[in-house]
Amino acid sequence: MLMQIIVGGIASGCIYAIVGLGFTLVYRTLKMVNFAQGHVFMAGTFLGLTIANKFSLPAVPLLLVVMVVAFLIGVVLERLIFRKLYHNHDVFIVGSIGLGIALMNTVRLFFPEPIPFPKVFGERIVKFGDAQFQEAYLWVIGCTVILVALLHCFFAYTRNGRALRAVAADAEIAGTVGVNVPMAIAQTFGLSFAVAAVAGVLIGPLYFVSFDMGDMVGLKAFSAAVFGGINSIPGTIVGGIAIGLLENIAGTYISSAYKDLVAFVILLVMLVWRPNGLLGTSTPVKV
Amino acid sequence: MRQAQSIRYGPFAAVLALLLALPFFAPAYVVHVANFVFISALPVIGLGFLSGFTGRVSLAQGALFGVGAYVTALLTTKLGWSPLAAFIPSVLGSALVGTLLGGPAVRLIGLYFVMATVGIQQIVWIVLLNAVDLTGGPQGVRSIPAISIGKYVLDTPEAFYFLTLAMATASYVLAKRIIASRLGMRLRALSDDELAASAVAVEVTRAKLIALVMSSAWAGAGGFLYAHYVRFIHPDMFTLEPSILFLTMSMFGGYRSVEGMLFATAILESATEYLRPFGEYRMIAYGLLLLLGMMFFPKGLFSLLPKRAQGAAKKTGKGAEHV
Repeated sequence: MLMQIIVGGIASGCIYAIVGLGFTLVYRTLKMVNFAQGHVFMAGTFLGLTIANKFSLPAVPLLLVVMVVAFLIGVVLERLIFRKLYHNHDVFIVGSIGLGIALMNTVRLFFPEPIPFPKVFGERIVKFGDAQFQEAYLWVIGCTVILVALLHCFFAYTRNGRALRAVAADAEIAGTVGVNVPMAIAQTFGLSFAVAAVAGVLIGPLYFVSFDMGDMVGLKAFSAAVFGGINSIPGTIVGGIAIGLLENIAGTYISSAYKDLVAFVILLVMLVWRPNGLLGTSTPVKV
Repeated sequence: MRQAQSIRYGPFAAVLALLLALPFFAPAYVVHVANFVFISALPVIGLGFLSGFTGRVSLAQGALFGVGAYVTALLTTKLGWSPLAAFIPSVLGSALVGTLLGGPAVRLIGLYFVMATVGIQQIVWIVLLNAVDLTGGPQGVRSIPAISIGKYVLDTPEAFYFLTLAMATASYVLAKRIIASRLGMRLRALSDDELAASAVAVEVTRAKLIALVMSSAWAGAGGFLYAHYVRFIHPDMFTLEPSILFLTMSMFGGYRSVEGMLFATAILESATEYLRPFGEYRMIAYGLLLLLGMMFFPKGLFSLLPKRAQGAAKKTGKGAEHV
């Protein structure tokens, strides 16, 4: 029983962590919160669904194709839309929420009802001690580990990744030493779209997918990012998995009705107690 | 500064006269929409205290609006209170919830405060939805009585219209007076530069708390009207969605202009009506309206005080760096 709860919790925690990474990547660079992130995750699911149905790709190529397409969409949307919202963080929040509403309702036109996602990750039932779960849970956890490792290598060892980090640390100085700052910001959005879309494809086969699935996941992922530290990538991953575990445990042992409350209580308490999160470091934000 | 803030009585009287005459010549659905505009005006004005005068925006106003609605709905349906008697508890209930949950967060800088209000919004909504014994949960609260004043029962949109108009007008006048008062001056000083304000003996945290209390109280008053107008409430009426709408209304109006906020409220609240020709594309158009509005009019469509609004905008945007 406990094993079941832990595996389920880690799997949903991985989804919060990956979607939360999108918040973190943008926040680090721009000090802005992109509230369309949850809907990008949802759109990623439907992008995966459409591609999987059209071309019946196996899992790995499907994930790669979705990642590339979402990256390009992110770059284009940054050029066309987000760039015009950098005025201040309130404007960015409302603008990105508007984008999210438009995105959600566009998807709704094509997919008004919840529908099943093709079982691209197989349908075998895996036994693990006394716990049983679908193979897809292991895919979620495994892909998260690989994705995080790839992101780490990208940011630590590639020239391009270092440029993005430089812009996140100080865009002005990065610009003076020759980093193409607008390009780096566009790539940051591309990455945040790509990770959210991958999360969407990973979770698809586990549930029915619907146009409004991004709302709750987006906000919980956001809580996860704040919990671990919204400017820290390791923090966001720890925060996501912690929230996934805690809410599964609370849902089983305390009250299933208030399961959804866990993430938001953590969000509020964390902001008041330690606004930079568990692993975040930054200048103090209290006055 | 004071002159710019005070009510200009000529235009005010003209607009009021026109609005008083509205139900006598306008079709019924216009009156119906106007009721929603005036009801929304209350939480939006409340938000104005917070966003315009302390530089903090909130995404929990819809939840506090809901608390006001639920307090009156439960008092009148479960305990048999008369609606008018439930007004004060509604206002106090919202103020209390807003202060308890938001109070610890007011010290945070702008962006972190918004994040905290997202948490408050979700917490209140989830509790409304799941505290079945108290709120009825997903059943909502049905057959909320209409407000009656003496022998007049306000159970038609036309009759209710005069109440919402009166409440909106009173809120407007009161808001204007508060802005022009010493307190308003402190709040504006706070919004311009927190450090400088504290240096001239403005108690920063207390002033922000007062703004939060007022903002929540106004939301509660709006919720009270809403519950007795629609007569049926459900937790899903008080999700993040109305919070976004209220915030957008106050932002479209420009950061510190009450008139601008009211105008933006009218434009956006009636959007459901004039976006109707879009049919199933209506919600897409609505999302784009928010997005394009923010892209091209980031300082508000109708800011009457363009320079000061810019100051407020700059302040909230750069808060992270220099605080």
